[in-house]
Amino acid sequence: MSILEVKNLSIMFGGLCAVDNFNLSLEEGEMVAVIGPNGAGKTTVFNMLTGIYKPTSGSISFEGKEMVGKKPYQFAQAGITRTFQNIRLFSNATVADNVKMAHTMHNQQSLASCFLRTPAMRRSERELDEQVMDLLGELNLTDKADFLAKNLPYGEQRRLEVARALMTNPKVLLLDEPVAGMITTELEEMARLVVDIRKRFHLTIILIEHHMNFVMPIADRIKVLDFGKTIAEGLPQQIQRDPRVIEAYLGGEYKNVDA
Amino acid sequence: MNWKKLLKTAYPAAIVVAIYLLTILLLKGGLLNKYYIQVMMFAGINIMMTASLNLVNGFTGQFCIGHAGFMSLGAYGAAIITTMVFDGKNIPVLAQTPVFLLGLLVGGCVAAFVGALIGLPSLKLKGDYLAIVTLAFGEIVRAILRLIKPIGAARGMIGIPNYSTLAWILLFVTLTLYLLKNLIYSPYGRAFIAIRDNEIAADVMGIDTTKYKITAFCIAAFIAGVAGGLYAHLLAFIQPDSFSFVKSSDFLVFMYAGGSGSLTGSIVGAALLTVLPEVLRFLSEWRIAVYAVVLVVVMLYRSDGLVGGKELPFMRIRRGELYEEPLFARKGAKKSPSAQDR
Repeated sequence: MSILEVKNLSIMFGGLCAVDNFNLSLEEGEMVAVIGPNGAGKTTVFNMLTGIYKPTSGSISFEGKEMVGKKPYQFAQAGITRTFQNIRLFSNATVADNVKMAHTMHNQQSLASCFLRTPAMRRSERELDEQVMDLLGELNLTDKADFLAKNLPYGEQRRLEVARALMTNPKVLLLDEPVAGMITTELEEMARLVVDIRKRFHLTIILIEHHMNFVMPIADRIKVLDFGKTIAEGLPQQIQRDPRVIEAYLGGEYKNVDA
Repeated sequence: MNWKKLLKTAYPAAIVVAIYLLTILLLKGGLLNKYYIQVMMFAGINIMMTASLNLVNGFTGQFCIGHAGFMSLGAYGAAIITTMVFDGKNIPVLAQTPVFLLGLLVGGCVAAFVGALIGLPSLKLKGDYLAIVTLAFGEIVRAILRLIKPIGAARGMIGIPNYSTLAWILLFVTLTLYLLKNLIYSPYGRAFIAIRDNEIAADVMGIDTTKYKITAFCIAAFIAGVAGGLYAHLLAFIQPDSFSFVKSSDFLVFMYAGGSGSLTGSIVGAALLTVLPEVLRFLSEWRIAVYAVVLVVVMLYRSDGLVGGKELPFMRIRRGELYEEPLFARKGAKKSPSAQDR
C-alpha cells in the first residue's frame, strides 16, 4: 500500500488554476522528484501537501487518513514535513534551539514542571540536547550549535533546515529546492546527504529541484509540471528523452548532456 | 553538597534580600523616606507588568496594546475580595496574609480567564488582529468599570487595605522573573520564540501555534492581574481611569526602551523609566519634555533597547548548564559526563 496517495489535487487562485489535477502515489521509501519551469506550481503542490494552502478540490490520503482541511501542524504531527525554498529558520535562536523547536510536539513536560524546572524536566532537556547534538553531528553542524541561525553561511542554513525537519521525526520529507543557489561542490555534498538521510531515517522523499545533475542520479521517479499540469512522468532516463519535457523545460541543448 | 554551585544558584536571591535589607537600613537611618520606598514599589509593579507584556510582544511576537486592561481586572478582582468579601481593614492580622494572597490569586485568574476569552478568537488569526482587539478591550474594560455602582463606578474604589509592602512586592517580582526565566528556557519558551521568528515554519514543524499563543497570552494576563492586585493594595484607591490606554502605552515604552525579547531589558526599562520622572521632579513641567528627549535618544542610539536582546548571566540558562552536576546530587549517584564536547 502506498504511504501517500494524492488524487486530482487542484487549486484556484481567483480565476487562475495554479495546479490542475495533480496525482501522485508514493510508495514507502521512494524518492520522487518534481521538476518544472519557474511558476509551474511545484511549491504550490508542496504548500498543499503540508496544509499551508487548502486545495480547491482533490484528496490527500496519508497512511489511509484524509488530510485535506487539516492545519500544517497536524500534517507535521502525522509525519509530513518540509524544508523551504526561501529559507525559513528561526533566525534569532541558536542552531541547537532551532532543532529543539521542531521537537515541541513530542514534548512530554507539563507547563508546571517547566515553570519550576523540576529535576525530571531538566533530565528530559538534557536527553533532548544529547539527541539534538547527535543529529547536528550527522549534519556536520556540531561546532555551530551555539551560533545564531541568522549568522550561519548559506549552505549551513540549508543543512540546518534539513536537520530541523528531521527532528520532527517525519515519514515523508518534502525538500523544496535544497540546493538553490549552491555551488557545485556544495551540491554534491547535499546530494550525498539526501541519499544518506533517506537510508538512515527510512524516509520517503519528494524533491523539488532545478539542477538536473542533482536530481537525475538520485531520484527514483520524476514528475514534470508545466503551468500547473503534469506533462510527463517516469524514470529519469525516460524524462530526459521526452520531447515535451525538453521543449517545456530542459531546453533544446540538454539533449547532448549526459546525466 | 556543592558550595560553589549553591553560591552560583543563590546569588540573585541574595541580591534581592540585600536590596531589601539595605533599604530598610537606610529608612531607619533617615537617609530614605517613605516616598522613595513607594517609588521602588511602583518600579517593582512596573517590572512585573513589563516582563509579562514582554512574554507576549517580545518573545511570542504578538502585539498586545491593552495590557493595563488586565491590570485593572486584577486590581478590581483582588480589591473586591479583600475589601468587600472579607472587609480587610477589620480582620485579625493573622488572617490578612491569606486574604491578600487569595485576592491576588483571584485577580490573576480573572485576568487570565478574560485573556483566554479575547485571545481565543483573535489569536487564531495571523497578523495584527490582536493589537486591534486588545486596544478595544482595554477601553471596554474601563468603560464597563465606570458603570458598575457597587465598586464605585467612575469615582473609584476606596478603603482598600494597604497590604502591599516592599517585601511582598520584591517577593512577587523575584517570583515572576524566576518563573518566566524557567518558562522561556523550556520547550514552551522555545515554541513561543519559534512563533515569533517564523510563524509558518513553526506551524510546519508541528507547533500548534494557536495553543501556544493563547498560553503565552493567558500567562501574561495572569501576571498583569497579580501586579494589578499589588497596585490596588499599595495605593488603597483605584479608579477606572488610572488604567487607560496611556497606562498600556507606558508599559510598551518600558518594554521597547529596555529591549524586547529580554527579561533583563524589562527590568532595566521599567526600573529606569519609573524612577526617571521622579528624579526629574525638580524640573517641574519640563520633566515630561526631558523624559521624551531621553526616549528619543534611546531609540536613536539603541534601537534594540537599552540591553538589546541580551540577558544578564542569572537571567539566562546556558545549554552547558544541563551537563553540570545538579545542586542536590544524591550520594553515590553517577557523575555526569563532562560538557567538554558539547
